[in-house]
Formats: sequence, C-alpha cells, structure tokens
Amino acid sequence: MTSTLINVFKKLNITAVTQIRLCSSATNVVSEHRDISVIKKDWKFPPQYTKPREVWIENLDTVKENKLGLFELHPLIYATVPRIDLIHRNVEWQKKYRWVSWAHTKTRAEVRGGGRKPWPQKGLGRARHGSIRSPLWRGGGIVHGPRSGKTHFFMLPFHMRIHGLTSTLSAKFAQDDLHVVKDLELPTEESEYLIDLIKERNWGPSVLIVDDTDYAPRNITVATDNLPYVNIMPVYGLNVYSMLKHDTLILTHAAAQKIEERLLNHLHSNTAIQQAKFKLDQV
Amino acid sequence: MGSRQITEKSLVMLRSLPRLSLANIRDNPGSKKNTKRGRGQHGGDKHGAGNKGSGQRQNYMRLGYETGNNPFYLRMPHEPYYKGHHHRREYPPISLLEIQKLIDTDLIDITQPIDIASIVKSGLYNFFPDKKHFGINLTDEGVDSFAAKINIEVQWASEQVIAAIEKNGGVITTAYYDPHSLFLLKNPKKFFESGQAIPRRMIPPADVIEYYTSAETRGYLADPEKISQERFRLSQKYGYELPNIENDQCYTMLCERKDPRQIFHGLEPGWVVNLKDKCILKPKDDELLQFYAS
Amino acid sequence: MELLRNGVFRTLWRPIVNITRSVTYQYHADKPRLVRRYGYEEKIWSGGLKPRSEGKPLPLPEYRPANPWTERKSLFGQNDYIDILGPGDLHPVKTLYNVPSWIRGVRGSEYHILLRKRKMWARSATPSLRPTKWKEYEKRLSFLYRKLNRKTKTGPSPI
Repeated sequence: MTSTLINVFKKLNITAVTQIRLCSSATNVVSEHRDISVIKKDWKFPPQYTKPREVWIENLDTVKENKLGLFELHPLIYATVPRIDLIHRNVEWQKKYRWVSWAHTKTRAEVRGGGRKPWPQKGLGRARHGSIRSPLWRGGGIVHGPRSGKTHFFMLPFHMRIHGLTSTLSAKFAQDDLHVVKDLELPTEESEYLIDLIKERNWGPSVLIVDDTDYAPRNITVATDNLPYVNIMPVYGLNVYSMLKHDTLILTHAAAQKIEERLLNHLHSNTAIQQAKFKLDQV
Repeated sequence: MGSRQITEKSLVMLRSLPRLSLANIRDNPGSKKNTKRGRGQHGGDKHGAGNKGSGQRQNYMRLGYETGNNPFYLRMPHEPYYKGHHHRREYPPISLLEIQKLIDTDLIDITQPIDIASIVKSGLYNFFPDKKHFGINLTDEGVDSFAAKINIEVQWASEQVIAAIEKNGGVITTAYYDPHSLFLLKNPKKFFESGQAIPRRMIPPADVIEYYTSAETRGYLADPEKISQERFRLSQKYGYELPNIENDQCYTMLCERKDPRQIFHGLEPGWVVNLKDKCILKPKDDELLQFYAS
Repeated sequence: MELLRNGVFRTLWRPIVNITRSVTYQYHADKPRLVRRYGYEEKIWSGGLKPRSEGKPLPLPEYRPANPWTERKSLFGQNDYIDILGPGDLHPVKTLYNVPSWIRGVRGSEYHILLRKRKMWARSATPSLRPTKWKEYEKRLSFLYRKLNRKTKTGPSPI
C-alpha cells in the first residue's frame, strides 16, 4: 500500500517538474542551431533533496530574445516554499522600521497662555473653569493627542528576512517573472530600444534590474534615466518590497550567482551574532 | 507527504495565480491578536483597576513606603555583605564538558594551542571585558569524561581540572590578561581594522601575582622546573601515570607558550596587521624595539 | 433554434396593457398650491442627488493622482537587506539616512524617546538656542515620570 502511494507521489513530482521545465522553454523554442553553453556548477552546498532549477541565460543586445545558455539555480534559494505570510511580514517590516510619525499636538501645558483663572469660582452663575487652555475649551490643549517622534521600529528576525528573500525569489521564478541575462550591455542609449525590448519579451512594464557591481554600463543607465519604472540596483540593494513593486526582476548572471552564494552561506553557517537581540549601540 | 511535494505543488499553483505584488499579499489569518481596552457592557467595567479607593484612583505609593511608619528597609541596620562586589574580577565559567563538546563538534582545532580567542571564535562562549570579566574559569564539570590532549591557556583553573588535562597528556597554563588585551582577543578583526600596533600585555595586579607565579596553579610566570615537579606531584596525588610529553609527536605544539607580554599567538607586540594588503608591518626603529621588548 | 423561436413568438404576441388613471385623487392634484414663506429663498439643495447642476460647485478637490514611480517610491526599501546580501559589516539601521540620528532604530514610549532626545540634545546648542522648547521637554518629562511611576498600574509582579 505504502509503496504504491510513494510511486504515485513520485509520478506527481515528476510531472510537476516537467511542467515547469516545459513552460519555461515552451514560450521560446530555439529554432536556430546555435551552440548553447550549458553551465554545470561546482556546488559549494550541493542541493540535497531537489534537483537544481535550470534557467535560460538571455541577452539584452537585440530586441528579440536569444538564448545564450542554460544555467543552474540552487533550489534552496530559487525554489523554496513561497511563504506568502513571510513575504507579507517582510514588507510590513520594511515599511515600519523606518517609519517615524511626526504628528504633534500641544497639551494644555504647552498651549500659550491660560495661567489666569478666567472668572471667579462662585457667584456668577457660570460653569467653573480654571484655565482658558483646558481641553474643554476651543483653542485649548489636546488630551492623548499624537506626540512627535513616535516610532514603529522593530527588527525582523534574521532568518525570517532571509526566508523572505528566498520566498520572493522563488515566487518570482515560479511565475516567470525572474529572468537571467548575461550582462547589461545595450547597443544604444535610446529609451525606445528598452521599451521595445520589454514589450517584445512580454516583461511587465515595470522592471527591476539587478547587477553585482555598483556601476552599470553607460548605455543602460542613460536609457533607464527617463523611465521611472525601470530601475537598476546593486545586489546589496535587493529587497522584498522592490521585487514585489516591480513586475519583472532581471538578474545578471553574476548577480544571480552572488545572491545565491550570500544566502546559502548564511543558511549554512553559525549566525548567532546576527540572530542576537537587536541592540542599538551594537549595530 | 514530504516537503518536496508541498514545495513543488505550491510553486506549480503559483504559476496559474495572478502575479504576486504588494497588493495581494497578506499574513496568515488569525496570526495577529489585537489587544485593546474593553469598552462594552462588561469589558469596560473597571479596566482591571479594582473598586474604590487608592487602587481605583491608581495612586501608587513608592516601593517600601508604609504610609507614615518608619519603613522596614530604613528600620534595619545596613549589613554590607557584598560590599565592593562590582569592583571584583569575574571569570565567566566554561566546563571541561563544554570544551570536550567544542572539540567533538570540530569547533576548536586541537592541533594548535587553545587560548581565549579560539574559544570565543567557536561562537558558544562569550564574555564582556567591560563588565570586569577577566577571562575563562575552567570548571570541573565533565572531568571524568574529558579525553582530549590539548595545550590550553585559561585564566583560572582548579586542581582537578589541571589533573584531568595533564592525565590525558595535555598542558594547561593560567595566564593573566588586562581588559584591553581581552578586548583585542575577543574581536581581533575589529582591532586589526583599526590599523593600530599590537600593544604589550600588562603584568598582573598585586593581588593575583601570587596565583600567576605559583607552579601549583600552572601560572604563566612560574618557573618551568617547578611546574614539571608539580605535574609529577599532582599525578602522585590523584594516582595516574603522567604521560611523557617529550616523546610525543606533537611535542612542539604542547611546548608552545605565549611570551608574558604577548597577546596573540604568533604575533608580537609592536606589529601592525594589515588586513587589506594581507601583510604584517614590523617596527624597525631602535626606540620602538626597545619599548616593545619584554 | 430556440433563440429564433423566441424572437418569432415575441413579435407575434403582444400583451394588452390598459393605461388607466385613478380619478379619485384628481381633485387634490388640480387644486392650487398654498405657497408658504413667500419670498424666502431655500438655501438647502433639494434637487436630488449629486452632482448639482446649479448653485455653488462641489467642494471636491481637483483629482491629482499620486505618481507611484517617483524616485523615492520606486527605490523604497533599497539596502534593507544589506547585512545579508552585502559584505556583512553594515547594519540596515545605519542606512536610514533620512531619519534623524537621535531616533534612528529607537523603539519606546513617548517617555523613552523624550529621554533619549534630551540626553542627545543636551550637549548641542538646543538648550540655549530654544530655551522655551527645552523647558517644555523637561516639563513633559517630569509629568510623564510622575504619571508612569505614581499613577500607572504596572501589572502583577513576575515572581
């Protein structure tokens, strides 16, 4: 009984994998017989229970898509469980940890004036009042109002942030919104070229391009300069919020490798220091 | 069902779902609990402040105040049992069992002499020199199961611990480090990045100079002749056969000791470690050499 | 086929509808209306739902859609994972350059934040340049100290 069950699951799994492979290759069947480089990786942390995911290396120097090679991605980084709740918590953290509310109201002590008793306590037939800045008065102080400098700061645990990154990368990759390109060399510095390229390849209008260097080539920086929805980031600038804000994520070959290397390193090392409770004087 | 199927299935499912964006993510339902003060019929009853009086008005008197009586804490005379405890030296303990565990899990390299830097580097021991922590106190828990041959340098050790290490053919030294050198040993990288020359280790203060010069405690300032006599005496006392380390294959490692003025193994005071160019700069000036000579 | 048959059926058969009017209320409909409050101009609009065709225009602001791709918004969150993806010696809190340094990475009640503010600003020129503000900080701090320590229940003791 159990063996038949296992067989069924094996089959299920195989069909799932082939579906992904088929879908990613079905959109663009390589018609020209070019020699495609298939890069076999020398893994530092070899994938244990799942096969590495394969991804096409694309080009940017023609509007039409050419496949330059096949490249392996680590399943722990690019094909883990896409935890939507973790992604949500990462985005919440990104919004909140920098958020300082500067809304401010004055209390009755801070509003100008109001030191004198407006009228005697007794004998006038009027309500008793001690200050014209009492919260009951128009123009008086505010009770329990917002006080300036309210922070919403907290640090999300280190591994939750790592898993936020891997979940988002996996979700993007599973939805065909993650593409790997060889480099960022464009033939021209015209924005039109980039717009055509994005339209031709059916990338979402907003594109996040990630490179592993601090300086992108001149042509692509000039081309994206007046396209506010096409942005370039270094690897260390990558984050969950930007990945979700932009429709498509474009990684250069080097950037994909660097992200994988950094995240795998953290997943396989002693991170007691990073996991320690956040202390302001120790960061 | 294994997690592989879950992963694959959820990824396959995502392919047919709309694109993940900032607009369609959410937390797990029920994961957040809103804590708010009750307002309803019974929820807004007394808000936990009780009924009537000082409690309801939330008028809290200072701790120990007895509404006019001479308070207890002032009635009793002061008895300073722990006077000056915050000025005393502390030695945060690590046991032999833990050292054995670090060795077994390959977090410490026993082919090299072990000092406080290598134990801190394992990530499972920590100390704070700014809180008057003066290094490691090696305690005797796991003394029977200890079975490693090591050359270890600690700051405080008991007789049983010394016996346990020497029984296995190892060597132990107790050495004093001033707080500044302990900061360096705790985080060497931070110090090397500052680009300063490695300072000299200070000599121990007067009240511990006896501990660190005596051969019974294997002090680093003790006479080596006396130490070998003490090693033999201890083996007689505890009744084990002292292994002959002269014939041992790691004799050179076991004989390695730091100079009394030296902080790091293999690095002498006055040197500058350049991490960027990966080189060591040594002083040449006669005055400097004379200053750093021990 | 079904559709065609329905169409034919509809053209051939028409229901007979008798339009009748009740005469009973004709008297009330025809009698002259009494004009009350003659000369009074009704200021309240009673011409039905919005939008109004006459009178004052609606006080609706001009619709200005926010640009979601300004530089600040499109690069929001950059460097938040710099300790993971970068070389590892920089904490993301250190990259919050547009948050004032005295409140960067701080969490706490108004009292905590104000204490920290006073501590960090005491050495600056603020106490002498803005004496009234400074006096208000101190006043608020002493008020909060009394409120939190003498008038607030702190819950049961952990022991």
